[in-house]
Amino acid sequence: MNSPLLKIRNLCVDYVTDWGNARAVNNVDLEIYPGETVGLAGESGCGKSTLAFAIANLHCAPALITGGEILFEGMDVLKMSDDELRSFRWAKASMVFQSAMNALNPVITIGEQMIDVVLAHEDVTRAEAKARAIKSLELVDIHASRMESYPHQLSGGMRQRVVIAIALILRPKLIIMDEPTTALDVVVEREIMNQLYDLKKEFGFAILFISHDLALMGEITDRIGVMYGGKMIELGASTDLITSPKHPYTRGLLKSFPTIFGPKTRLEGIPGNPLNLLEVPNGCYFQSRCTECVDQCISQIPALKRLSGDAPRMVACHLID
Amino acid sequence: MDALFAGAQGRIPLETLQAYKEMLGFVDGPLWIQYLKYMKSIFTWDLGPTIMLFPLPVSELLSVKLPWTLGLAGMSTVICVMIGLIIGTFAAYNRDGLVDRFMPAFWAFVGAMPQPVTALFLFFVLALSWKWFPLSYGANPDLDPGWTVEYVSSVLHHAVLPILCMIIGGIGAWIFNMRNAMINVLGEDYITMARAKGLSNRRIMANYAARNALLPVVTAVSMQIGFVMAGAIFIETVFNYPGVGLLLFKALAARDYPTMQACFLMIVLFVLVFNFIADLLNLWLDPRLRK
Amino acid sequence: MHINQYFKFLRRFYRGNLAASIGSIIVATMILLSVFAGSIAENDPNKRVARGHQPPSAELLLGSTRSGKDVLSQVLHGGKISLLVAFSAAMITTVIAVAVGISAGYFGGRVDEILMSFTNIVLVFPQLPLLIIIAAFVGQVGPIVIALIIGLSSWAWGARVIRSQTMAIRNKEFIIAAEVMGESKLRIMFMEILPNLISIVVGGAIGTCIYALMAEAGLEFLGLGDPTIITWGTMLFWAQSNSAFIVGAWWDMVVPGTAIAIFGGGLALLNMSIDQLSNPKLKTGGYIKTWRRMKSDIEARRTEA
Repeated sequence: MNSPLLKIRNLCVDYVTDWGNARAVNNVDLEIYPGETVGLAGESGCGKSTLAFAIANLHCAPALITGGEILFEGMDVLKMSDDELRSFRWAKASMVFQSAMNALNPVITIGEQMIDVVLAHEDVTRAEAKARAIKSLELVDIHASRMESYPHQLSGGMRQRVVIAIALILRPKLIIMDEPTTALDVVVEREIMNQLYDLKKEFGFAILFISHDLALMGEITDRIGVMYGGKMIELGASTDLITSPKHPYTRGLLKSFPTIFGPKTRLEGIPGNPLNLLEVPNGCYFQSRCTECVDQCISQIPALKRLSGDAPRMVACHLID
Repeated sequence: MDALFAGAQGRIPLETLQAYKEMLGFVDGPLWIQYLKYMKSIFTWDLGPTIMLFPLPVSELLSVKLPWTLGLAGMSTVICVMIGLIIGTFAAYNRDGLVDRFMPAFWAFVGAMPQPVTALFLFFVLALSWKWFPLSYGANPDLDPGWTVEYVSSVLHHAVLPILCMIIGGIGAWIFNMRNAMINVLGEDYITMARAKGLSNRRIMANYAARNALLPVVTAVSMQIGFVMAGAIFIETVFNYPGVGLLLFKALAARDYPTMQACFLMIVLFVLVFNFIADLLNLWLDPRLRK
Repeated sequence: MHINQYFKFLRRFYRGNLAASIGSIIVATMILLSVFAGSIAENDPNKRVARGHQPPSAELLLGSTRSGKDVLSQVLHGGKISLLVAFSAAMITTVIAVAVGISAGYFGGRVDEILMSFTNIVLVFPQLPLLIIIAAFVGQVGPIVIALIIGLSSWAWGARVIRSQTMAIRNKEFIIAAEVMGESKLRIMFMEILPNLISIVVGGAIGTCIYALMAEAGLEFLGLGDPTIITWGTMLFWAQSNSAFIVGAWWDMVVPGTAIAIFGGGLALLNMSIDQLSNPKLKTGGYIKTWRRMKSDIEARRTEA
């Protein structure tokens, strides 16, 4: 087994507020191997984006990485100096943000936004940087003339493709995609996903795919991790996890998505409200919304344990022990 | 003015009175005719003669005074912008640092100090007591005007205090607005993406943050121009600086209505031009406004 | 609002917000001082109590003016009128701005066009020069008239801001619901829309107050006020006419100037805090300090490991 590209251990990220510390990422372990696509699922506020931002050490006040290590090819990102961090970012690991309109600087051209990242990392001439940018745009089927456009002049789908092009431009080993298609309609979403498949086949980068759409993730990912309240509660191979979810929350999530085939069944959601991170319960975080809660769940936090069997599945639930 | 004429009624023959009236540009007749005539005079730049320096035409007087005021306002605005932007950006970047906490509050007080008082204070300390700077006038009155080094340096020397006054009065607004705009901008996604891209801090601040933060600042401060002009009036009065403000003050004292009106007109035009420039600036800075 | 809600709001407002506290203290103190000026000031501000231009001493805490009047008493009594002018002008302006702004924003169409053209015309004139001209035409004016002219000329900007905010709210569903339910237009404007605009209205009112204070002082300094009535502005005027600075009697001029600066500054601080209320990002707060502390702890630990 080759060594993992990214190894996150015991990561803790807190948000410091006037009313206390909210732990948005709570002792999370995660490994991503080269060329692998890992999905991260969960409802809004479960900590997926926080985790993603932490990987490149992008957090600002009031967020703070309070513990753990993030080893990228053996080097701890959290211990890097400013210069090391700057050369690491985008060249080794880049990001695709959820809303391209917000992620692009509205007052400078697309071309300029691509050229400046090349120039910041590599010692090339401006002309060369421009040529690379044009090539990157071609990869996502955008014509070179768009280099002179401003973000507001492009359609939503084109913008998202531009953001993907920018993410690819330095040929990073890992691309973190934070809900890349949530803001798009299904037709455009399909185009983007197809494009992603092709690009992945051609360049072989690893992807951390974050979404709340489990069904979409089932397609593209090799493994899926499910988060709740900042903790990783289930982790396993995608098809396995989707066909036989073990954790009550994962089961609830999957039941919330209608299927196109089969008889029309009544949709069941997950009762209750998302967890208030400022007032966490003593035992399992999911207890107030779990339909199968037992006494042990209330008093003891379940650890993420590996299940027996060939497939590497990990679940954090007392019922499974 | 009518009072003046009424008082003179008994002592001056009627024809002479009429002649005076015409010379001074008085129009009898309904108000709207007066208004039309005034509009016409504006366009032909024939604003009539002044009363206090009769028969010097107002337009000539104005055109001499105008460059001085423009120079003051222009220079102080430029300096305000530069310093204000830098301090505002610094305060926003280092949230809750010393600068961020004290600067806006400090300037709130200093800015609230009435301009005449700051002007007089500076006048007293720097000009009168310490004799660092000259007491009055635009330039050394012994020198001949011209583009000689001597004259220009004298002009600059005389301009320091008035400009300093204007800056003290106006910079608070720039700092405050820039800081707030920067704070809003720094929370945007494209800044996070810029950092994720591994760009240098300088590039992020300049191209990504400042360029976006400028947009609301330009709009907000272009509203302040009227206030700047008002300040000019007080400052010029205290420093005896030969600009439009001082002219207005003297005209007030002498009840010289034509001059007052013309000065006012000039100031309004000035404000309009400045607002227009601000609009153009907005177009240049924000590609979303172009079509 | 219930009393409880009111207190909760106040607590949230002042919590950790130094600017708000200082600003409120200043404003409250000065208001109290001027209201009780009669009891605090020892001397009648109009009476000559000492030789001209005496420096501050134990007897006359802030010295005496050229004509030998007590500066301290003057500043206290003068404050009454200056503050009154500032507040009334601010009130007039706010009332007009709210009326025009909400009507234009709510009714739209023809009403909006007419009101806006009118507003734009008023807006074009730079205010202080306009004030100066009006005051010059009217002659020497007392404080009431000054308050009136300031009030009538400064509403345009506020009206515009209120109008755009009203338009933003106007199409929200709760307004349409209220209309469908048959609420009278007047009621909608004042009971539904206005409460949402409170922060900008109050912010604008305070801003106008500061501006009015300075405008009044400015006008009187130029000689356009009634010099027989004592206000902070006329104190400045007299000081200037008597060349206070030049003869070294700085207190004559600095005292009223500082009074204006302190009060104006206090109001500005309040204004800033209100800004922070509506946009929490602007706050300078306790959590940042905690954050900094935690961050340096963690980094120290990390470099050791």
